[in-house]
Amino acid sequence: MELAADDKEAFGELYERYLTKIYNYVYYRTGNTHDAEDLTAKVFQRAMSHIGTYVDRGLPFQAWLYRIAHNLVANWHRDQGKRKIIALDDFVAHSLQSEAPDRWTEEREEQKQLMEAVRRLPEDRQQLLLLKFIEQLSNAEIGEIMGRTEGAVKSLYHRTLLALREDLARQEDIGAARRLSGKEG
Amino acid sequence: MDSHADAKAQDFVDDITGALQQGNSLDPLVDLPDGAREEVVDLVSLIQGLRDTLLPVEPSAEFAAHLKTQLLESEAGLAARLRKMPARLHVAAILALFAGFSLLLSRRLFGASAAQEISEEPVATAL
Repeated sequence: MELAADDKEAFGELYERYLTKIYNYVYYRTGNTHDAEDLTAKVFQRAMSHIGTYVDRGLPFQAWLYRIAHNLVANWHRDQGKRKIIALDDFVAHSLQSEAPDRWTEEREEQKQLMEAVRRLPEDRQQLLLLKFIEQLSNAEIGEIMGRTEGAVKSLYHRTLLALREDLARQEDIGAARRLSGKEG
Repeated sequence: MDSHADAKAQDFVDDITGALQQGNSLDPLVDLPDGAREEVVDLVSLIQGLRDTLLPVEPSAEFAAHLKTQLLESEAGLAARLRKMPARLHVAAILALFAGFSLLLSRRLFGASAAQEISEEPVATAL
């Protein structure tokens, strides 16, 4: 790792190893390719210019990189106020593998609702789900990135699932009530 | 739910998530205490939904290649060139910077005191 501070080839290797991970994280937090590319580039630019401070701190490189990404994404949401205009269709379309059109539509709707519910979660909970499901990191690794203990990550994950379940049930009730009032009207 | 049951539920949820992600059977997890079981079983479909929705994506090859070139060339371009400059040029650059800052500082100080003198002069007003 120390080599990377002086050796561009070493930094190139780190880049290859972490590009897709960081891109995924940013992509799911922003919801579009354009901003994902822009912010991913900023993450690596910042990492490159501050790699000296990283070596001094001794935090695992992966955790350090994710923290940079997290901060940049948080700034992006704050500055742009784009949180509410995420294009969810992109997320859903690429993840569907069913061939049957009816099942496809049903799955698509379910996944869209789930993705919307995920995006309504507080930032730290979204971060946890992305690191767990997309990056498939262990609780210990997630803890390093989020600055929490392994037990705290486990507890937060459990509470996140419960909150998601409640939110989905609430949305379902709202939808049913709307359909009902539509029929009556 | 008390804290012990809560901790149990957290462990089960975590184990189930791991098993689903690795494509393992959930059979060993069926033997749950009643309290935790209701809590966890209800969450399994949600965990499956997350697993099927949150899937990895790949950045485009063009973007990956372009960014790599940009990062490594900028490093080679500016920082590396600065580091490789002879020591006497480093000293000259530091002296030039110091002189520049001194000049700016003196201008600001003189500019500020001159502005203050002007503002302290009595202003003639029409009667």
